[in-house]
Amino acid sequence: MSGPDTHTSAETRPPEPRSSGGSSGLEPGSFRDPESRVFYAGDNVYRALSPDGLADFEALAASGLLDDERVVRTEQAGDGIPALDHLLVHEPAGILRHERIPFVSYPYEWTFSMLKDAALVQLDLLLAALEHDMVLKDSTPYNVQFKGARPVFVDVGSFERLREGEPWVGYRQFCMLYLYPLLLQALKEVPFQPWLRGSIDGITPSQMRGLLSFRDRFRRGIFTNVFLHARLERRYADRPGQVKEEVRRVFKKELFVANVRKMRRLVERLDWNPPEGVWTAYGERNTYTDDDARRKDDFVREVARSRDWDLVWDIGCNNGRYSRIAAEGAKTVVALDADQGPVELLYRDLRTERDERIVPLTMNLADPSPGLGWRGLERRSLPERGKPELVLALALVHHISISANVPVRELVDWFASLGSALVVEFPTREDPMVKKLLAPKREGLHPDYELEFFERRLREAFDVERSERLESGTRVLYFARPKKAG
Amino acid sequence: MTTVLAYLDPGSGSMILQIIAGGLAAVAVTAKLYWGRLLKFLRIRKEEPEAAKPETARGSDSG
Repeated sequence: MSGPDTHTSAETRPPEPRSSGGSSGLEPGSFRDPESRVFYAGDNVYRALSPDGLADFEALAASGLLDDERVVRTEQAGDGIPALDHLLVHEPAGILRHERIPFVSYPYEWTFSMLKDAALVQLDLLLAALEHDMVLKDSTPYNVQFKGARPVFVDVGSFERLREGEPWVGYRQFCMLYLYPLLLQALKEVPFQPWLRGSIDGITPSQMRGLLSFRDRFRRGIFTNVFLHARLERRYADRPGQVKEEVRRVFKKELFVANVRKMRRLVERLDWNPPEGVWTAYGERNTYTDDDARRKDDFVREVARSRDWDLVWDIGCNNGRYSRIAAEGAKTVVALDADQGPVELLYRDLRTERDERIVPLTMNLADPSPGLGWRGLERRSLPERGKPELVLALALVHHISISANVPVRELVDWFASLGSALVVEFPTREDPMVKKLLAPKREGLHPDYELEFFERRLREAFDVERSERLESGTRVLYFARPKKAG
Repeated sequence: MTTVLAYLDPGSGSMILQIIAGGLAAVAVTAKLYWGRLLKFLRIRKEEPEAAKPETARGSDSG
């Protein structure tokens, strides 16, 4: 068996870091690389560098790669940074300041094309680095963040000077966290997200081999990167020192570049498309023009434009129609849906539009991302990454309450716990969609799913400012603000 | 510079694989190059048409 893999983390700051567990301003997910460590002071994101780390950074700055738009904005910080103890093993030799990413997301919340685009950024930056005799010391997707639909590489500490005879150290990690998850979905139609959420280090070569069939080994790149990889890993597992020396003797930079290029061609070719029904529904919902839809648009638009919202969550975003309306009055909109299909199509559209405000993510609200990794703090739960100022929950309540069996009372309490304003839609029991969801259930189930009960609970937890019953009569919209404490 | 590899375990098998995979690529590129030369030598593939280049008068019999 192979030893544990390590990697750095997404090193960006949640707007409201919780103090529990984390010491003053240290990023709890940035500890694996001994050459650099991320911390926060005030509204700023900083990175402390060891002497070696600083020398690497200076080489990076000299190469011009720091100005690449795919790399997070970074500058050397001046004096006056509050010193933190125990940032690194020794005194830091230098401090950097990073641009803040508005909302941190993780690969197990991305769609196929998002992980693929992140992989291509990783490989392209590695190829660009190699031209300047530099490398990326690791290959983890947690080093990529999305500004809207644009992937940004955030771990500046990953760039280092290339050592003579050094192979692609991050190759194995690239396979485990990028290539295998992408293959799983492209070849097997198995969503990769639960696998990445289940294992912070990804899928090992031998696990991946177990998931493929005999036929698969004849597909491009599979034999080498999966079957041969798994076999060699087993064969050389107990001879790491010897192998390292042998490899150093024969390995050349040209070989490194050839391997990365080959991987890039392989990843570039991988493809996955949502089922046909998703495409149809995605397009239809974008064009429907009936009166209900128009009034719903207006309702959301009025709230969105009533002030400048910093962060909006659109939960159950579907094709992103209301995320787009919300973005008219918001800096950042996080568009969440449990169904990867429409989110994938939304991402592709936003990518074409070069959007930097809407972050599309796939997540089941009845089973949202928990805290993961060392002490459960390396990767944060959804609300710990920044609570929203406004939540849109349109065409969602019936799915959570009926399909996922969450009691209406608990759902409203959860909304209230976010402390944000809320636009929520309640489809009544007469609504065709609700009827459909209730149909397979025993008669009389979900007695709490009643308009009156929902509204009473909502008014207990919120100040309801506006409500509107749509023309069809089976859907009611509310705009509510959290009750002031005390 | 130090001789230790980075903090990340590159995996022994993974390193060996890179030599094999890279080696295969190198062999393929070399083979392709010589194959091209062979075809040219045997006049199966034509030399690049000279008219396509701007300085045709100087000739280009460098190889």
